[in-house]
Amino acid sequence: MSERPDYLPEHIREKLFHDPRVAEQDLRVDVKEHRVLLGGNVSSLQLRHTITEVAQELLPGYEIVNETTVVPTTEPEDAEPVS
Amino acid sequence: MIRIAAVGDLHYGEGSQGILKPGLEHLPDRADLLLLAGDLTRWGKPEEVQVLADELRGVPIPMIAVLGNHDYHCGREAEVRRVLEAAGVRVLEGEGTTVDVDGVRVAIAGTKGFGGGFRGAHGSDFGEPEMKAFVGHTKMLSDRLEKALAGLNAADLRIALLHYSPIEGTLEGERLEIYPFLGSYLMAEAVDNVGADLVLHGHAHHGSEKGRTPAGIPVRNVAQPLIRHAYNVYTLNGHREVLPAAAGGIT
Ligand SMILES: [Fe+2]
Ligand SMILES: [Fe+2]
Repeated sequence: MSERPDYLPEHIREKLFHDPRVAEQDLRVDVKEHRVLLGGNVSSLQLRHTITEVAQELLPGYEIVNETTVVPTTEPEDAEPVS
Repeated sequence: MIRIAAVGDLHYGEGSQGILKPGLEHLPDRADLLLLAGDLTRWGKPEEVQVLADELRGVPIPMIAVLGNHDYHCGREAEVRRVLEAAGVRVLEGEGTTVDVDGVRVAIAGTKGFGGGFRGAHGSDFGEPEMKAFVGHTKMLSDRLEKALAGLNAADLRIALLHYSPIEGTLEGERLEIYPFLGSYLMAEAVDNVGADLVLHGHAHHGSEKGRTPAGIPVRNVAQPLIRHAYNVYTLNGHREVLPAAAGGIT
C-alpha cells in the first residue's frame, strides 16, 4: 500500500473495521516510519492475534506492534443499589 | 428487591467461544433477570450469535435483549433474533414484555435506538433525504419506545433497554465529535415523558457508566469494554419511585 502518510492510519483503521474477522471500531492506529502501533480494547486473545495478522496483510513491509488490551469478563464484585 | 444483571457489546465472533460462559456461573444466584444491550455480534451473522446463544441457553432466569448496530450489519437481523429466541432470549424492538419476579411485575421496553445528538446539538430531519432518513429513524424508534413504555404502566417496575445512549452523561470519555453517532436525547425524552425506574444502554465503549435523564431517571451504560465484567447487577426496590416528568419527576 502506498498512500499519503497523513491518511494512512485512518485507512488502516477503516479497513480493520470493515474486515469481518475484526469488525472492531475502537482500535487506535498510529504509523511511525515503518512501524504500526495498534491500541484499544479487544474481547479475546484470538481477536488480538487476528488483528495483528490482518494489519500485517494490509501493510506487508511494516512492523506491527499490537498494544491492544483483552477486556476481562469476570463476575462483578457487588450489585449497585439504584433505588 | 429486584436484581437486574445487564451487559451489552459482547461482539461475539470467531474465537469468542467461552468468553462469557465462565462469568455466568453464579448469575442465577445473583440476579433475577439478565438484560442484553445489543451489539451481541461483530458482523451480524447468525453463526456469531449462535455461539453466544449456546452459552446462554439454559440460564434459569429470564433473558431479554435488544440488538445493536453491529447485529444489523450484514442484513440478517431477523435470523440473529431467531437464534436468540430459540435459546430463550426474548428480543425487543419497539416492544415491551413483563416478567414476574416473586410477585413483582418487572416490565422492560426495548429498542436499538439510534443517533442524532443531544439537546442544543441534535441533527434535524431537514435537507437531503439521507439526513431525513437518519433523524427520522431515531424519531420513529423513540416514539415506539415511548408507546411501549406507556403500555407497561401497570407494572411495578419499568426498565428501558436500549443500545444507543439517551444522554450525554454516560458518554463522557468518548470524543465529542462522535456524540451524534452515539445516541440521541429523543430517547431520554421518550422515557421522561412516561417514566421509568432505570434506563440501560451500551454502544459507547469508551463512555462512563452512570448518568441520569433530564427528569432524573437513572441511566447505566453497560457496554462490556467499559464495565469490564461479564455483567453488572443493579438492584431496584419493588415499587415505582420515579414519576413521569410531567408529574414532577426527581432531578
Ligand atoms: Fe459495540
Ligand atoms: Fe454499537
